[in-house]
Formats: sequence, structure tokens, C-alpha cells
Amino acid sequence: MIEVKDLRKIFQIHKKPPGLAASVKSLFRRDYVEKVAVAGATFSVGEGEIVGMIGANGAGKTTLVKMLAGIIHPTSGEARVLGYDPWEKHNDLRRQISLIMGQKAQLWWDLPGADCFELLREIYQIPRPTYEASLRHLTEMLQVESELTTQIRRLSLGERMKMELIAALLHSPRVVYLDEPTIGLDITTQKSVRDFLLSYRKDHAPAMILTSHYMEDIERLCERIIIIREGELVYDGSLQRVIHEYAPYKRLTVHLSRSTSATMEREILDRLGEVVEEQAGTIVMHVPRDQVTSAAAEILRKFDVQDLSIADPEISEIIELLMGGREKTTP
Amino acid sequence: MMRYLRLYRQFLSFSFSRSLEYRLDFWFRIVMDCMFYAVEIAFFMVIYRHTELLGDWTFDQTFVFVCGFLLVDAIHMTVFSNNMWWLPIYVNKGDLDYYLVRPVSSLFFLSLRDFAANSFLNLIIASGLLTWALLRYPEPIPASNLLWYLFLLLNGAILHYTMQMFFLIPVFWLHSNRGLTNAFFSTTKLGERPDKIYSKWTRRVLLFVFPLLLMVAIPARVLFEGPSLSMIGMTLGISGLFFLLMVGFWNFALKHYSSASS
Repeated sequence: MIEVKDLRKIFQIHKKPPGLAASVKSLFRRDYVEKVAVAGATFSVGEGEIVGMIGANGAGKTTLVKMLAGIIHPTSGEARVLGYDPWEKHNDLRRQISLIMGQKAQLWWDLPGADCFELLREIYQIPRPTYEASLRHLTEMLQVESELTTQIRRLSLGERMKMELIAALLHSPRVVYLDEPTIGLDITTQKSVRDFLLSYRKDHAPAMILTSHYMEDIERLCERIIIIREGELVYDGSLQRVIHEYAPYKRLTVHLSRSTSATMEREILDRLGEVVEEQAGTIVMHVPRDQVTSAAAEILRKFDVQDLSIADPEISEIIELLMGGREKTTP
Repeated sequence: MMRYLRLYRQFLSFSFSRSLEYRLDFWFRIVMDCMFYAVEIAFFMVIYRHTELLGDWTFDQTFVFVCGFLLVDAIHMTVFSNNMWWLPIYVNKGDLDYYLVRPVSSLFFLSLRDFAANSFLNLIIASGLLTWALLRYPEPIPASNLLWYLFLLLNGAILHYTMQMFFLIPVFWLHSNRGLTNAFFSTTKLGERPDKIYSKWTRRVLLFVFPLLLMVAIPARVLFEGPSLSMIGMTLGISGLFFLLMVGFWNFALKHYSSASS
């Protein structure tokens, strides 16, 4: 449903040193620098797939989403969304896509949601019975039936985001771009938004691209992630594969009995793996996957252990490493 | 076309609901615009105390012309002005994004979505003033002259919007166009005066390069002198050409829209 090939976007940015003299000088002569926002992205998204796009602030996620929505024109490259070039602004395409931005409201501040939705019905030419059934279904799922006649500006942030979701999905889009949809929401509302999105995907199977800084969003909603760093796609694959590919170690947590001191035998631990945390009788180590069993056995043999656990590292930890450019970390 | 009319009906309904929320602003705007009308009329009354003719127009003709201008201004203030005011803000804050993903013309949406319902009464007042000016005009006015006049005034309002857009669209590159907006409002003053007061070359510039005289002065000439193919053809032809150029300029600007960081 979404095909992207070598998509690039370069912005020209005016660089101005601080101070009045530099401001005066910039009236006559300006220095521009090129900022590569997206550096040759290639990927595709299929029907019913939710792809999580992860990256630090300014990595190029939102620019990429806006290019695919047809808002920003690329510097070079190609993209097809439902068979259309998004920048040709075909109404047939725009009727089938939707964009939700957690940091920007699309609804009219002074009007109640019901009025805004009525305008959207007209814009998207949704037949009246379909519109009413869709509105009823969405409001019930998000539990905002009683808020439909309240002005948007009088709603809480969570209720507003739910209204934004309804506005974006009323026309049953086949492609949905979600740019930080849970930003600023409390934990309960975040959860209800995630549950809603999963349920929506089950019913309508749209292609979705989700950007978020909350790992909970990514872990709950996406089986596949794209990691973007300084405009470049550094990873595109399953959430699980990222662990095996970029973190070839396991996290070994050892709780020692009170009488034991690991400091005395530190050279043993250093030989088995990398000690990443050590405090009050608890040691956390990164141990190569293929040596984890023998390392655990040796620790159990040589120390007075109260408890020992082996786990995969946190996904957020690996992604943080990837975003920071320290991939393929080994112990 | 019917779809866009239905959409516009929704815009009207929204705008009235919203304007009536702010009662004080509603009444204040009416008072301010009435003061503006009074000043415009008084300005020409003072001039005619010292002269019989301005260009080749008598006071009665100029009075019709001024009231015609007030009607064009009221249409602009009611239909377009709020939208024009918001446009640079939308471009700079990246709020244009949502308008660009809708399956309707972004230009239509952004130009017409906010109907200044609190100026609507002024539109009625300006229409009343023009009706009064036409009724007190001493010569008989043929119906065809009147119909063409009203049609060309409506065209004048659209031309006013078109011209203003030429001054607004550069915001896509400049990001601050206060200077251009002020320049537009200063320059449009030239269209608020009878055409014959200008020299030949100034007139030509104001007809073909920056066609402000086509907004009100030429329609008034059609009213007084009768509809001529050359005047009507020139007015509609140039207005149409400028409108098409503006649409092209808009589409070109959208290609350079950089939105804003989230």
C-alpha cells in the first residue's frame, strides 16, 4: 500500500551567528547550510501493518510522514501510496488517507466535535448512513458519546485526542499516519488510545505508520519498526529481530547473599561478561548469548547466590543505542 | 460545484455560531466599520466643497463610486479578510498541514472557511448605502447598466482577494510578510479614487499591471456610460488572467512549503 524508494529531503537553512551585527549583515548576505532531513529512505508498508518509526527529535520521522501524506515535496526519490504519487494531490488518494498529529489540532477550537465531524462528512463525501454508523461506532469505542456536543476547547487533552482520532478515521482511511498520537496523555488514556488503534486495525486493516517516543506505544502496537537516525534508516525489521541483531547479549541479574562480596572475585565476573550495574549485593551483567548458560553455572558454583535471572535486554535500551549510533554493541 | 456550495454553507453555519460567541467583538466591529464608512464619504464631501468635478465625475457620480467601493470592501472584509489574516500564521506554524491532506481544493478551503459573520451587518449597511446612492443619482440608470455594474463589483471583490493573495503567497519563502501586507493596503488606496484623476501612464499601470481600477472605478464607468464590450472584456479578461496566475502561484508555493517541526 505504501512503496518508498530512495526518498530524500534536504532543507536549506539560513545560518545566522548571534548578535546585532550579524543580523544587520544578514540583511545583505546570508549563509545557507543544507540540512538533510531524510537521506534516501526505501521501504514498503502492507495492508493491516502498523510500522513504528522511531528516532530522536529531528531525526526526520515527521518529515518522512509529511512527505508520504503529500504535504511536503521531496528533493528526490519516489513514493507510491495506494498506487498514487502523494504529491500530485489526487483527491481519490486524499479520500483514503488520514493524518493524526499529537501536537497539532485539526478540529475547530470553538465548535463541538459533532459540528466538526459534520463538516468532515461533507469534505469526504461520506454517505449519511455510513457516517452515522461510523460515528456511533467510533464514539462508543472511545467512550466519548456524551462529549460530542461540548466545544473542543472545553475538553480535556485526552478527550480532545479521542475526538481527533474520530475525525481522522470517520472516512475509514486505508492509510493512516500517526505522528506521536499519545504525546502528553496520561497512562490510562494512552492505553485506551492504543487499545482503540489495535481494534481499529483488526476491523479495517489499514496500513499505518506510527511515530512515537513512547516505547510502550511501539511495543504494544508494532510488530515491525523502522529506526531513523539523522535522516537515515538504520534498521527496518521486526521488533524481536532488533534484539538478536543489535544486542547479541543477555542480561544476567545476580542477587548475592549478604555475606558474599562480589568485589573480591571481580576478575571472575569480568571474564564472564560486562558488569553494568553493581550495588547492595545485586550485580547486573551483559553476557554473550552463547555463553550465558556456562556463565550462570560458574556464578552459581563460585558465589553464594540468592537468586539469578536471565533476560533479553530492554528493547528501549537497544533502540536507544541504535539511535545514538552505537549499534552492534557487544559485552 | 454543488459540493463546494454545500461546503460553503457549512463554513457559514460554523462562522455564525463562532462569531456569536464573542458578543463584544461582534458589536465593536460593526461600530468600527461604520466609522470607516463615514470617514470615506466625508473625505469626498470635503473635496467637492472646493471643486465641481473630480476627474470627470460629479459629486453624485463619485458618491455612487465611493459606496461601490464600500460594498467591495465589505464583501472582502466579510468573505475573505479573516482567512487572509490567518494564512501567514498557518504557513509559519505548519498548520497548513491538515488543509493539504483534505480531498478539497486547499485554496478554496483556506480562502473561504472563515466567514466574518460579525462583518455581515456591515455588508448590509454598505449595500444600503449603495442603494441610497443609486436612488439619489439624478440621471436614469438603465437596468442593463445596473446589472453589469453589480456583476463587475462582485468581480472587483474577487479581484481584490486575488491581488491580496499575490502579496500573501510570498510568505512561503519570506516567513514574515508584514511589509508586503502593509504595502498591499497602502497601494489599494489608489483603487479608492476615481480613475480619471490619474495620468495616462499611471492609469495604464493601474489597469493592466496592478489592476486596482478594475475593482470599482471601471464598474462605475460601466454604470454611468453604459456597458461596452471593451470595458467589460478588459475587466473580466484581466481579472480572469490574474486569478489563474494566482492559482498557479499558489500551487508553485505549495511545492516549496516546508511545514514546521513537530
